Amino acid sequence: MNWFRRKKLENNLDRELRYHFERRIQELQQSGLPEKEAYRQAMLELGGVAQIQEEVRDVWMARWVRDFVYDLRFSVRSFRKTPSFTITAILSLMLGIGATTAIYSLVDQLLLHALPVRQPDRLVLIDWKGDQVANGFGSWNLMSYPICRDLDQQKQFFEGVFCRALTIVNLSTGSDYRPATAEIVSGNYFPVLGVGPALGQVLTNDDDRRPNANPVTVISYDFWRTQLGGARDVIGRKLLVNRHPLTIIGVAASTFRGIDVGEVPSLWIPASMSAEVIPGFNDLQDRRTRWMQVLGRLNPDMTSHQAQVGLQPWFKAMLEDDMRRPGFPVITAERRQGFLESSIVVTPAPQGHSSLRRRLLEPLWVLFAVTAVLLGLACLNVSGLFLARGSARDREIGTRLALGASRGRLGRQLLTDSLLIALLGGLLGTVAAPLAVRTLIALLPSGGIATFSGSTDGTALHANVDVRLLLFALAASVAAGVLSGLAPAWQSGRRELVSSLRERGGAAFSSVRLRKVIVTAQIALTLVLVVTAALFVRTLDALMAKGPGFPTASLVSFGIDAQRSGYSEAEGNRLIRRIDETIRHSPIVQASSVARFALLTGGSWNDPMTILADKRFSTDDVNLNSVTPGFFQTMGIRLIAGRNFDDRDISAPGERDWRSAIVNEAFVKRYLGGRNPVGIRICEGSGPDAKPNTRIVGVVSNFSYRGIREDSEQAYFPFQGEGAATFYVRVRGTGPSSFRELRSIVRSVNPTLPLTNLRTVKEQVDRSLNTEHMLATLSGGFGVLALLLSLVGLYGVMSFVVTQRTREIGIRMALGAKSRSAIWLVLRDALTMVLFGVGIGLPVVWSLGRLVESQLYDVKPFDPAAAAVAVLALCSAGLGAAFLPARRASIINPTDALRAE
Amino acid sequence: MSSSRFPIPQGTLDMLILQIVSLGPAHGYGIAQRLQQISREAVQVNQGSLYPALHRLEQKGWLRAEWRQSETGREAKFYSLTAAGRKQLAVEKNSWARLAGAVQLIFNESNR
Repeated sequence: MNWFRRKKLENNLDRELRYHFERRIQELQQSGLPEKEAYRQAMLELGGVAQIQEEVRDVWMARWVRDFVYDLRFSVRSFRKTPSFTITAILSLMLGIGATTAIYSLVDQLLLHALPVRQPDRLVLIDWKGDQVANGFGSWNLMSYPICRDLDQQKQFFEGVFCRALTIVNLSTGSDYRPATAEIVSGNYFPVLGVGPALGQVLTNDDDRRPNANPVTVISYDFWRTQLGGARDVIGRKLLVNRHPLTIIGVAASTFRGIDVGEVPSLWIPASMSAEVIPGFNDLQDRRTRWMQVLGRLNPDMTSHQAQVGLQPWFKAMLEDDMRRPGFPVITAERRQGFLESSIVVTPAPQGHSSLRRRLLEPLWVLFAVTAVLLGLACLNVSGLFLARGSARDREIGTRLALGASRGRLGRQLLTDSLLIALLGGLLGTVAAPLAVRTLIALLPSGGIATFSGSTDGTALHANVDVRLLLFALAASVAAGVLSGLAPAWQSGRRELVSSLRERGGAAFSSVRLRKVIVTAQIALTLVLVVTAALFVRTLDALMAKGPGFPTASLVSFGIDAQRSGYSEAEGNRLIRRIDETIRHSPIVQASSVARFALLTGGSWNDPMTILADKRFSTDDVNLNSVTPGFFQTMGIRLIAGRNFDDRDISAPGERDWRSAIVNEAFVKRYLGGRNPVGIRICEGSGPDAKPNTRIVGVVSNFSYRGIREDSEQAYFPFQGEGAATFYVRVRGTGPSSFRELRSIVRSVNPTLPLTNLRTVKEQVDRSLNTEHMLATLSGGFGVLALLLSLVGLYGVMSFVVTQRTREIGIRMALGAKSRSAIWLVLRDALTMVLFGVGIGLPVVWSLGRLVESQLYDVKPFDPAAAAVAVLALCSAGLGAAFLPARRASIINPTDALRAE
Repeated sequence: MSSSRFPIPQGTLDMLILQIVSLGPAHGYGIAQRLQQISREAVQVNQGSLYPALHRLEQKGWLRAEWRQSETGREAKFYSLTAAGRKQLAVEKNSWARLAGAVQLIFNESNR
């Protein structure tokens, strides 16, 4: 307010005072004083003009505001005079704050941000703890649909309970079919969440009453905008989902993207339609089929703990009841015990449910910690730069102190300096952050079932800068500013007044010590980052070296799901066999085979098995698949014993069990140790009524099924009667060159059947290691940056030290010391700092190592090799940085040194 | 914020200024001359505290200022009393009277 009229106010005050002054002089002259006397007298009477001006200025604007503005302008002016310092400092902080903000954006969206629904803090996830005695499919925290409806009746605890499951469907809006992610939900999904429609209406319980009777769907806002052009007349239009027509009754609110941040559905379908959406699925009302996540909204005065405790009696009663129902599977007494001892668990879930979150929880926090360390490094760097600059301002500060400035005032000035740099760096960092976030999102592993499908719906993650992010960036900038300014401010407060005025260079030794401490701290932090990076790189290396266990050159895979296109299982199977035949006869194909489930997707079909050797026993979960006879040859997997599948192994129609199975080395080692596996009978399932009628006919060497890390026990059955499968084709030439041909082959058999996930197996391997790639790349990059920052700091200090000690070195040389000893002086100084830094850093690394252990493979956090490499790198880098100053010291001419001041 | 050399408290200076200005618009020098009269007889008023006081009173809305031609022919900044200032002056005069009365009472007491 008064700020803008400043100039005018000053001018007027000037005029006012001058008027007063001249009138007084006139008056005094009139009373007989000579002009000079009158002038002097008037001056004395008025007192200090500057003081009057200051006091009036205090009236216009509070003192602290003026001081702050003055400090700010002073800072800006002095920064403009030293552009190299300013740019280096701003860049350092821009890097640190930008990186931290970018990672925080992901941490916030994935781990912290609540769902955009009504009162998300009242949402809870309900889960079964113990043996559920149920079969199922899906990701985590699964229960059956009937249990969900039962829980919805518990109005004492819950306002409502809904359930949901994600699945892939074949979607068509008109002509072409493409895979899309759909969410199957209970009728009360939208009402309980409190999400309304942007257009039309949402699903309600009425849509979920009778099976197959409500062919309706609600589409997502994004789908409506991008695929249907935002047309206003979508309500009532029909979509073909797996060839079944569903009527669109509404578009969901624009901010709602489902409850899983890692997978966004294009449409929501009532559970009553699940048989159409999941071909061959008839178990909606089966209490022993678990496939949905169950979430609920607590009543206003209920806590999740209270609900959990309160539900146990009802749950126990339900367990008893379930066991007595007809159709309850035959199980051992031991398992019965486990079933009855189960309990129900209620946990708060304001962020919804996400497999991606589960997968990325640790890696993201690790990355966040790494960027925080990087920010600390940047602050230390800027601190060092300030101290270097500060010692050049020694005289100025000494003069100000002598003129009466308080040390607090000076400290404030320095803090303003660093805050300004930090805020500018933070601003630039925030501007650059969205780009970094976008890159990170591209690096992220895709979550959950999106890896199973060819769906391109993606995640709900975005690179936008929202208010929370800005606030975080601001907080980080202020913290960085204060941190950077602490050392110089503290330093200036301790400076000896007289000595700083006396000497030309100033007594700056204490500031050198502080700078050395800072550099040592930087080295320590850098060590932590470099060792972390080394560990992650070694992990990635080890995993890639281990490989999937079969050669991936020219190996291509793609998926076909005929049932989603409306074919029955038998029809689908015929289609798949025809495609397999046609591919095998193509000139570009060396070998081709089919497996029911794809490899290296992070998931698998698994079940415990029963083995009948000399005695009968059951196993833990075994990874299972069914494959065509040429599978292992196509994949290049060695057959160790027995034989491959052939026509003998196809079960006759009506035969319920598989005739044969092929197991892997790990299976034999764990369960059949020593015995000849060929001929032993096994079967899927572990209940007392399981009949081991399947003979083992062969043993293959180990290879990766779910992912590169696992070495699980596996068993394979002959492929027959399935309507969906993944093809593995070894082609001639490179993988990508075959894509067009493969597509046209499939099209020639059936033009409407889409291929999903057509890619080389090598790419699939890389995708499965996405998290490891991300960690290695980012921590490696950050490690290099940290190294650079530390080196700049080290170089700066050593350079300064040489300048400071020029006289001393000159005297030594004059007294006969060789130039070698001058070099050693500098190098010894640098090495001391590096070694101290390493000495502090190593214990820190080892104590924090535990935190990253779960991310590593084949390397311990206390790995001496990684530590040794890091230490060596730091030492040699440190010596390199000190090299130039050392050279400068060695060529000091004693006479010049003594002459110069 | 009055200077430690001259014992007139800030509140009293403000009141005196308001009183002087209530008799008619005046510029800073004119007010200073009047205050000189007072300081010759009783209390010294630092000229240096005058202008900060004037600006403070103007900021508070008790004085209004405008640049006019003065008696010497040159332009000067004239201060005049606002309605709020008039009210404030009455309040201050009242307090001053009561203070003076109370002090006098105590003096009378101790004399008895």
